[in-house]
Amino acid sequence: MAIELYRVSIRRFLVTFLSLLTVFFFIFILSLSVGSTVVNPVEIFIKLMQSLTHRMMDAFGSQHLIVGAVTEVDKIYSIAMFRLGRTIAAILTGSILGVAGLLMQTVTRNPLAEPYILGLSSAALFAIAVGIILVPSIIVYRWALMIVAFIGALLGFILAITLSRLAGGTSIALVLSGIAVNALFSGLSHVFLYAVQKIIRMPYVFLLMGSTSIVVLNDVIFLLLPFAIGTTISLLLFRMLNAFIYGDEHAKQLGYNPSTVLIVISAIASILTASTVAIVGIVGFVGLAAPHISRLLVGTDHRFSVPIVAITGAIITTVADIVVRIISLLSVGLGELPLGVITSTIGAPFLAYLIIKRVRGYEDSY
Amino acid sequence: MRIVIKDLEIWYNSIKALDNISLEIVDGELTFVIGPNGAGKSSLLKAISLLVPPKRGVIYIDGRDIRLYNAKELAKTLAYVDPHISRSMPSTVLEYLITARYPHKNFLNFKEDAMDLEIIDRVSRQMNIVHLLNRRLDQLSSGELQRVVIARALVQQPKIMLLDEPSAFLDLRYRLEILEHIRNVTRIEKIVTVVAIHDLYLASLYADRVILLSNGSILACGGVEEVLDREVIEKVYGVKVALLKINGRRIIVPIEPLNSLHSSDNVFRSEID
Repeated sequence: MAIELYRVSIRRFLVTFLSLLTVFFFIFILSLSVGSTVVNPVEIFIKLMQSLTHRMMDAFGSQHLIVGAVTEVDKIYSIAMFRLGRTIAAILTGSILGVAGLLMQTVTRNPLAEPYILGLSSAALFAIAVGIILVPSIIVYRWALMIVAFIGALLGFILAITLSRLAGGTSIALVLSGIAVNALFSGLSHVFLYAVQKIIRMPYVFLLMGSTSIVVLNDVIFLLLPFAIGTTISLLLFRMLNAFIYGDEHAKQLGYNPSTVLIVISAIASILTASTVAIVGIVGFVGLAAPHISRLLVGTDHRFSVPIVAITGAIITTVADIVVRIISLLSVGLGELPLGVITSTIGAPFLAYLIIKRVRGYEDSY
Repeated sequence: MRIVIKDLEIWYNSIKALDNISLEIVDGELTFVIGPNGAGKSSLLKAISLLVPPKRGVIYIDGRDIRLYNAKELAKTLAYVDPHISRSMPSTVLEYLITARYPHKNFLNFKEDAMDLEIIDRVSRQMNIVHLLNRRLDQLSSGELQRVVIARALVQQPKIMLLDEPSAFLDLRYRLEILEHIRNVTRIEKIVTVVAIHDLYLASLYADRVILLSNGSILACGGVEEVLDREVIEKVYGVKVALLKINGRRIIVPIEPLNSLHSSDNVFRSEID
């Protein structure tokens, strides 16, 4: 029985993974084609494939059999490449926030935990704002900016957890503490960023609500590295995470020190959140929706849910980014909406649903 | 396997939970810990499993201080069973049971071995929870959860098993079945089993050795006949009990409280008597 169930869960994981990968690929192509000039996605797909085969042939040193298409300056190709930066940024932001959300839910054993709701994101942004005020030149040093954001995020997390423990440690207390932390730091960020608007030379709303329109391809490395590190560590520690959700005593009995788990996982979640805040700004609710969808699809086992949550988060965020561009396409000339507006609009009803379900369901089981 | 406890003292903040505990527990026997509420039964079990740090005294497992065992060694040796697990994250019974095999796994092994799953299968059949494996933990009844939690300990295959109130929430049949099974496992696998229990009837039925705790210290310790003495039990619990001889075993049956909660009533009645 257990063997069959385990086999079923592996099969379910593989099927889900491949289907989501297919969906992800279509959305990736779609994202390259939608913008101020809409290009036929099929053409983009063909151009991408051509360029890919050319590069492969270059790499193997063979002669080009097909002449033309990509070798000359191609309009469609360059439009797609122009959007590649923001598309990859949206993908990585989504994956990172999905993984961060999953880690935070596991470590707090609270299905409502999320970087935005618990105030990590706003605390990170607040730290960035303070950094810019103290040392204005920090804005060009992206790594320094990320470290500052990391410290902010970690402090925000610690503050939210401490507050909730003082308030009795229930799941709702954690969410309420998060709201308090979030409100405080987003208010302060507002004030500080408003004051330094001249230095950052962009509408500060883009940082407060997140936007990929400011990201260029070179910035992507600042998201790729934290993503790669964070996801790899979470996957390697899947047993520790699996054991942790049943309580401190259970984890301890299986040989995992609960305080070590808490510190390590909080640090990883904070690094992940900080990187997205420093590069694209605050994008809320992705970290809430993606883990729930992934658990629904493949269950709680982290060796399955970590990869699925990364793809789910990427899909949600890229779709939201496409929606942003479609809206700005329809309402000519007013500039772009921030990305966080769309994810919040999708995510907030989701939160409402979870609160109702949770209060009815398993409030007594803590 | 042999547990030796010397001068153990446990404090919760400023409240003393265990005082001057010294005892020896051997394998292949069912040791029952009994005593009224707040006597320190759970504290003793938690101290042995290192979940509560002792203020004074040492616990030796096979002659070695338990604080010298590393976390993984201890996880392979000990299992403490308590149905108060966190169920706030949705997860299935199988996912829960698989975690019990983790102490036996290597860090970089991503696959569950067939052997581990076979152990889970076997234990699930014994605990009659096969039909629950795919069920969510938060949808189980208290009795089902109790069986799942005990199954977890058996899946872990420890050398020392500490059960805190394993009979709670179970119906009559499961109480007897599960304790009988635990007794068999204890004898066949030669493990150390300590059971903290309120039910004196079950204790008199299954115990090989009994430890009677009261107010954090040991009042009596030894064989069933020695410890489950009518006078001692009546004094410690404040309950009138009867001793019956059934199938060659002495069974304790509680009859009525010596001082009921309405003590004035009692005084009145005893005057009439």
